Amino acid sequence: MKSAKNMYGVMKVGTVVIVLLIMLAILCVVSISVGSAGYSIPEILQQITKEGKSPVKVIVLNLRLPRILLAIMIGACLSTSGALLQSVMKNPLADPGTIGVSAGAATAASTIILLFPTMTGSLPLFAFGGAALACFLIYSMAWKRGVDPTRIILSGVAINSVLGAYTSLLQMLNSDSLQGVLAFMNGSLSGKSWYEVRILSVYCIIGLILSFGCVKSANALQLGDEMAKSLGIKVNLSRILLSAVAAYLAASTVAMVGMIGFVGLVVPHIARILVGSNYKVMMPVSMLLGANILLFADTIGRSIVPGMEIPVGIVMAVSGGPFFLYMLRKKGASYGN
Amino acid sequence: MEIKAQQIQVAYGEYIAVKDMDIHLKKGEITTIIGPNGSGKSTVLKAITRLLKYKKGTVYMNEKDMLSFGSKELARHIGVLPQSHTAPPDFKVKDLVSYGRMPYQSFGKRNKEEDERIINWAMKATGVYDLREKSITQCSGGEAQRVWIATVLTQQPEMMFLDEPTTYLDISHQLDTMKLVKKLNKESGIGVVMVLHDLGQALEVSDRIIVMKQGKKYGEGKPEEVVTKKMMKDVYNVDCDIVWIDGRKKPLIVYKEI
Repeated sequence: MKSAKNMYGVMKVGTVVIVLLIMLAILCVVSISVGSAGYSIPEILQQITKEGKSPVKVIVLNLRLPRILLAIMIGACLSTSGALLQSVMKNPLADPGTIGVSAGAATAASTIILLFPTMTGSLPLFAFGGAALACFLIYSMAWKRGVDPTRIILSGVAINSVLGAYTSLLQMLNSDSLQGVLAFMNGSLSGKSWYEVRILSVYCIIGLILSFGCVKSANALQLGDEMAKSLGIKVNLSRILLSAVAAYLAASTVAMVGMIGFVGLVVPHIARILVGSNYKVMMPVSMLLGANILLFADTIGRSIVPGMEIPVGIVMAVSGGPFFLYMLRKKGASYGN
Repeated sequence: MEIKAQQIQVAYGEYIAVKDMDIHLKKGEITTIIGPNGSGKSTVLKAITRLLKYKKGTVYMNEKDMLSFGSKELARHIGVLPQSHTAPPDFKVKDLVSYGRMPYQSFGKRNKEEDERIINWAMKATGVYDLREKSITQCSGGEAQRVWIATVLTQQPEMMFLDEPTTYLDISHQLDTMKLVKKLNKESGIGVVMVLHDLGQALEVSDRIIVMKQGKKYGEGKPEEVVTKKMMKDVYNVDCDIVWIDGRKKPLIVYKEI
């Protein structure tokens, strides 16, 4: 049990926050200068401050900057979503996929792209709707005199698999026009612009503010249902509100850039190791950390192979999986107890 | 402060766990609910603290229907330590105890100084003040139980409900916990309602004992009146003698040799 102390909350919250902020700033600078066309920082500064249009200015201001901002917001939203759900489910393996956000969005997106290609312009709206619907379906199936985490997880497994089967079938039958679907399934920030930034920033800010209102109940749920109840928490209501905020945050990102896995699962874990389980500090640290990790993954994705972009969703899955296993082995002993 | 339950019936699905239960609890007393496994002790405790819904009957707190209280308001009157509770392994003792202030806080509104004062008081009263910077996993079972009791105390309840507070503890920690309960009751006048398995401890600390059998109340009264040879045979199907020893205020249960 002694090791528990060394694993958790060893670092001061302030230190962690400052380090993460500095890292984020460095990542922004790096991300703005690397890519298929590499520019040095002085060059960029010089070009940006100049009057008139130049290729550097266009690339930096209209392509890279919005992309960086998107990555930061998406990382923060997905991590917060995962953190909230892990408290709702009392399960460290919960993430936005558990409550059907990914499957619902994928179902809607595949349907629109493959069956109603003329409506592709409204894809974000449908993806958001699909995510919300799947989430609602899972919760109403799980409802039995209240929402029990195990029932949510089980009904999530069932509904996710049905939706997954539908999506697969649809893709098989329309295998000639899969390009758009694939791009959606492997969430990518490629080609996103200020338009997406503007929309997502509204959703993101609302969602993140709401999530701060969830801190108290998220903390109390960690003490067990009966203890939370006896502290005056309305357990069922809290579960539903927390899930709603989490679903909203995840669905907003899915609608804008498609599915990006593992962020919501892994980031809250690392945050927990860094600063402990108190949501008052763990959630903001998750946001910052998520922003860092997603920006890092996207920067890698668009610079590692010259002339080609690897979607950030794939980078996350490839690097997140092994990293998660590593953490599981390293701290499994203390977390399992 | 008093809690009165009238004709409570609790069911898990089809199975009726508790029926026709009347209970009258007063502030300042230690009441212990005893009975064999499955007799409905914990169920009663949960029903009268609103952790479980009851099918029939009414529970009154100060003459008012308990269901009419807001959940936070209720948590300021009564504190419950359920049998099952968990804390994230990194939680510090102080953090955990501070959760007891939740019923007094609403979004953006709290009295930090008062919270701090009461948290410190509760930790001192339960003897965990020196552990306050330790994580909960670093505490022994007995210490952890005292920390949880401190959390409940921090709610400043008039009545405290403890569901099997000594289960899983070794004998020395069991006795420590009982001494603590007795001390808190004496010093601050807090009412205590417990479910206990150990009849000897129930005899020692309780002002009143309620005996449950098969979901019904078998008997109720002062410990030495309730714990009798006949009750032990009827309720537990155990043969024993109740003996008094000079110098002890309460009798002892001596079980028949095995």
